[in-house]
Amino acid sequence: MNKATPLRPEIVRLFDASENRRKQLAALPFPEKVRMVIQMQQMVEPILRARGRSIRIWQVIL
Amino acid sequence: MEKTLQVLNALEHDGIISRYAIGGAMAATFYAEPVLTLDLDIFVVLPETAGGLLTLTPLYTDLRRRGYPETGECVLIEGIPVQFLPAYNALLEEALAEARETLYERTPTRVLRAEHLVAIALQTGREKDHERIRVLKEQAPLDSAYLAVVLARHSLENT
Repeated sequence: MNKATPLRPEIVRLFDASENRRKQLAALPFPEKVRMVIQMQQMVEPILRARGRSIRIWQVIL
Repeated sequence: MEKTLQVLNALEHDGIISRYAIGGAMAATFYAEPVLTLDLDIFVVLPETAGGLLTLTPLYTDLRRRGYPETGECVLIEGIPVQFLPAYNALLEEALAEARETLYERTPTRVLRAEHLVAIALQTGREKDHERIRVLKEQAPLDSAYLAVVLARHSLENT
């Protein structure tokens, strides 16, 4: 079995920053997170449509 | 989403459902980072029927009357596909009874407790449920003593 290669410090910093970003997202107000979910739906819709799957993006006032 | 929740509150007020709470990915999003979901999972306690049958038919009929049509497994309520899931076991009944009261903007609503989301995910056990547990354990303010009691009560402590 291969031994895991230690990560370079700059990569560790990137991972830490990503982790912090996720914690910040978790702490946002719920309505703000719902807006982000809808943005994600808008992002994946063309990809899913290209694969033949149609989805309904939530039609709410943002 | 506020208008959708207002419709759910009206259904509860009118006795079409006895109680509801947000579950699934949107409930997980309440406690942790946002995750992509395409529908809003709503767990419901239905009023007792004469034969003790768990049926969503009266709910769907009422929603049609209010102008909200079914689309596949969901009902489109104010622009959001809502999937209604009746509380079909003791864990879900408890989760609904103990759901957290909160406000969505100015509208009161309920969200399942994070500890119950973990327990439900353990019980369901799909790949995405394991991921949900990992994220909730990492980011949600879990009450570990309460979670332990819930898991023990529903024989999930070794899963």
